[in-house]
Amino acid sequence: MMGIIKWSRLRSPWILYMCTGACNACDIEVIAALTPRFDVERFGILLKGSPRHADVLVVTGAVSRHVAPRLKRIYEQMPHPKFVVAAGTCACSGGVYWGCYNVLGGIDKVIPVDVYIPGCPVRPEAVIDGIVKLLNKLKGGK
Amino acid sequence: MPLSREEQIIDDLKRYLGDKIIKAEKVRARRVNVEVPLGAHRDVIKFLKERYDIRHIVTITGVDLGEDIELIYHLAPDNRTWLLNVRTKVPKKNPVIQTIIDILPGAVFYEREVNDLLGVKFEGHEIVGHFILPDDWPEGEYPLRKEWKPKEGIPRARV
Amino acid sequence: MPVYKLPIGPQHPAIKEAFHFTFDLDGEVVVDVKPRLGNVHRGIEKGMEFRTWVQGIFLVERICGICNTPHTTCYALTVEELYGVEAPPRAQYIRTIINELNRIHSHLLWVGILGMELGFWSYFMYVWRDRERVMDVVEMITGNRVTTSAIIIGGVAYDITPEMEGPIRRAMDYLEERTKFYKKVLETDPTIRARTQNVGVLPKSVAIDLCAVGPTARGSNVKSDVRFEEPYCAYGEVPFNLVTYDTCDVWARAMVRIDEVLESINIIRECLDKMPNGPIRLRLPRAPPPGEAMNRVEAPRGELLHYCKSDGKEYPYRFKARTPTLANIPALCEMLKGYYIADIPAIVASIDPCYCCTERLIFRDVNSGKVWAWTYDELRRYSLKWFKSNGGRRK
Repeated sequence: MMGIIKWSRLRSPWILYMCTGACNACDIEVIAALTPRFDVERFGILLKGSPRHADVLVVTGAVSRHVAPRLKRIYEQMPHPKFVVAAGTCACSGGVYWGCYNVLGGIDKVIPVDVYIPGCPVRPEAVIDGIVKLLNKLKGGK
Repeated sequence: MPLSREEQIIDDLKRYLGDKIIKAEKVRARRVNVEVPLGAHRDVIKFLKERYDIRHIVTITGVDLGEDIELIYHLAPDNRTWLLNVRTKVPKKNPVIQTIIDILPGAVFYEREVNDLLGVKFEGHEIVGHFILPDDWPEGEYPLRKEWKPKEGIPRARV
Repeated sequence: MPVYKLPIGPQHPAIKEAFHFTFDLDGEVVVDVKPRLGNVHRGIEKGMEFRTWVQGIFLVERICGICNTPHTTCYALTVEELYGVEAPPRAQYIRTIINELNRIHSHLLWVGILGMELGFWSYFMYVWRDRERVMDVVEMITGNRVTTSAIIIGGVAYDITPEMEGPIRRAMDYLEERTKFYKKVLETDPTIRARTQNVGVLPKSVAIDLCAVGPTARGSNVKSDVRFEEPYCAYGEVPFNLVTYDTCDVWARAMVRIDEVLESINIIRECLDKMPNGPIRLRLPRAPPPGEAMNRVEAPRGELLHYCKSDGKEYPYRFKARTPTLANIPALCEMLKGYYIADIPAIVASIDPCYCCTERLIFRDVNSGKVWAWTYDELRRYSLKWFKSNGGRRK
């Protein structure tokens, strides 16, 4: 039974996307990954609207103080097992906003992260690559 | 040589509101600066709106000059082809100034922003709660003031 | 009379960064709207005071990733005014081309998002596929797709070589043909017209009183465009039209944006025809002399103002930016009054908001006192279901 669940999760991870105070460039590149040029749906990846349906949380943006508790709440609402992908330099470490008040820094200050995808903004191909690497990590029986 | 519109307005301001104006000059093409003492900005802005249809407010900039906070009201005429800056200073020890939202309703957000980040109070504009700072931001901390530093210290960018 | 409060939740399935609004409802009709901003407040104005003038370009660019070139253009123009210099003519033309490419990409992005808000997913996919041609051109010129830092203090960092002209012109021809098709869809599709015509009406006098800017104002017949009012870069030297529509509704704003894409394509062609030769940047000393300057440019969303004050040091004394969406929010609050909950996604999308973070929407029914929260996805699903149950028409 666990084998089937794991197989289905690997074949079709459902993504929840959240923006935490970014400039939007990473957001439009993550959405561009859905569009016909890059077409992330051919990997079975679907963008979902609710935390309760998602396996993978893709987060962009340097976390602003206002949004940090919400990010934590969304993470807690996701069912196990769950994985977090930090897309973009701001989500990895705060990026260009390092040192600005109201910005906490990378999202790993709030929730644990599995995959870091650098880039300013992150390229759609890098997003797909990051998610595929996450899937390989899962296959390896993490 | 006929006066340009900017020069005409400067002349009129000096003529009708001479005692309320410290300085009015054309800095360059399309930029006019009008400096007024505290309390006179309402009359100047009202005069400009009624006589010259200057009712587009671009924003209100607050600059911390140390002892005072300078407020610059960036206004534009109806055809929006040049900027007229009405400047006034409020003392930091008592940063209170009358509101202009009854004259220019578009100024509500800009007054709230200056109130939130620099701590200037606007008489006649009741502001409750923060505008863009988070709800749990400590009272009395105004980030855009020069003396304010974040608790973690500021990493100065390497030059 | 009872009051329902309807908050809409934090995360969002698709980019449109959200916002925190409280809606007062009477049944299904919106009676009042109160915004609460601040999710994307990053402290950039203070951050600029701790970065050198040149490092400021990178921070300013990321105030908004979608309309990053107007921000760098405005900042560069302002700092050059402090220095008392002007960038060379060739650089001004290249800046114009890059700004217009940015406008095309931003408006096409928006047209796709409008389709998505109305449930028209295939329209969204088609438009975004064609938008990739613009990203290809930008990548060919500058090396990156979105935030490129091509416009710097003193000029531009990348040149448009003769070999690039052919691909740019071919991309413009392709985009013109596709944009005309998308315009025809907006004009003739009955569902889009039913959901956008006479919805979110903003009368001209209200738009002027509340100081609305950009396509939001031009859709209400306000003839205001900074490229005409205060020509900067090469806009004074190439001919183009000011686009306005007078129906004052969501449809008018959509048509303004689509027509502006067609105008931008022509501006790029004119700039390529008229581009002078010469250097593309000036070398400037480390810090500008003391003084202050301000400049306005026309971002895709409207009028953008930057103000800079220098005291002769290597770091700016004060930097201020007023983004166009802030000016349009009071107009948005007026536009929403009197329409159904199901109309909210379309009306909010019509000002092309750029708050850069997902926020909450709170609804409050004035009749029952009930308060509830929805995620934006729930709002959109409610909206699509409501229209489906009414046969695609508004009641």
